[in-house]
Amino acid sequence: MSIEVLDPTYGDGLAGAGSQEFALAERLETLAGATVGFISNGKQGTVRFFDALERELIAQYGVAHVVREVKSNYSAPADPDILDRAKEWNALVSGIGD
Amino acid sequence: MTLPATLQSNRITFDDPLSVQEHFHSRGWTDGLPIVPPTPDAVTACLDWAGLPAEHLVGVEPVRGRGLTAEKIAVNAVMAGCLPMHFPVVVTAVAAMLAEPFLLHGSTASTGGSAILLIVNGPIRNEIGMDATFNALGPSDRASTCIGRAVRLVLGNLLEVRPGEIDRSTFGHPGKISWCMAEDEEHSPWISLAEERLGDPHVSAVTAMAAMAPRQLMNEWTTDPEEILDTFVAEIKANMRHYSIWAGNYAIVIPPQLRQHFAAAGWSKSDIQNYVFEQARIRRGEWADCGKGAIVHGKDDQEYAALPDPSHLLVIAAGGPAGGFGAVIPPWLGHKSRAATMAVGACVDC
Repeated sequence: MSIEVLDPTYGDGLAGAGSQEFALAERLETLAGATVGFISNGKQGTVRFFDALERELIAQYGVAHVVREVKSNYSAPADPDILDRAKEWNALVSGIGD
Repeated sequence: MTLPATLQSNRITFDDPLSVQEHFHSRGWTDGLPIVPPTPDAVTACLDWAGLPAEHLVGVEPVRGRGLTAEKIAVNAVMAGCLPMHFPVVVTAVAAMLAEPFLLHGSTASTGGSAILLIVNGPIRNEIGMDATFNALGPSDRASTCIGRAVRLVLGNLLEVRPGEIDRSTFGHPGKISWCMAEDEEHSPWISLAEERLGDPHVSAVTAMAAMAPRQLMNEWTTDPEEILDTFVAEIKANMRHYSIWAGNYAIVIPPQLRQHFAAAGWSKSDIQNYVFEQARIRRGEWADCGKGAIVHGKDDQEYAALPDPSHLLVIAAGGPAGGFGAVIPPWLGHKSRAATMAVGACVDC
């Protein structure tokens, strides 16, 4: 005798009515001349990593400006004012670090 | 069999129940233990018991914007072994976890490795056979075990909170398999946790807390409430020195043998909270005593309290009748996640 069961995952496309679907932003052709933002989670270990990344992006890829932001709570999403400023950037790195 | 028209989940057909087990295990849909096959009939029975339509939105996980429906939660509750009468508690627990101050994403993704502790109050405890006495922090009864497990399966299957995916815990702890307990209101001299937090003495409610592993203590050599609490305070201070210094919701579990001394001395939960609030403090310089001198930064005398205010201490009456033990349950990373209490049957969006 066969048995029929239901898929227990969110991934079968049955999203709740309040769901918001997130999509990746369009990819850039080049980083040359771009403004790139970094959103750090605020942990100590991110500082040196982002310092090095900033140097590399400018030296190797011709990035024009790097903007550094730090979240107020490293376990929560970025603060609304940071997201507002992010609209002015061409690309962003939302990095985690410990 | 005619399928209920309201259920929307994908349906999968197998030759036999054992094939269901292996398929679910192979997809990472279980916690490694056998599951109850979530048939449409079993899922519908849960929804009917709770009086919820399948598409009912129990809540939205605030960080990733995922809406969790009653149907999907019911599928996972059945898998965990829940009976229909357990389902309203599962739904309430999920709703509490989705409250924004709980910070579900952060607390379940963190390397810190907290579990979700559920504390159930009110008449529903007895209606579904929860036992707040023997083995109160372990698998004390069917309802507690299945409800706690259901929440863990919901996290895994609906939010991908699985080890190595969203769950980045370095260690985690055994409470992440299932952690649900009742408060022993019948043998307590105090108001219940739910009454304290919701103001209603008759309410059935669930409190969810992002909780580290319990730290057990023992002091059966005094009847003085302050001396008893000094042992709890010492354990809290040890956690602040060794794990996290940040203030947040600590829970303490007090068994009957110690509760009788508080009752005899006329101590309320509020008295306990005030005493612990005043006493549970360490100086930053104490870190140097346990190998963490590198982060004292010359602020030796800076004082840190375990609790932002007395109400952050969750005082829970539970435990078997004999034994002068107690337990301190520390928070995940202090105030970043706050315990959330929700009444069973409360509608959060209507």
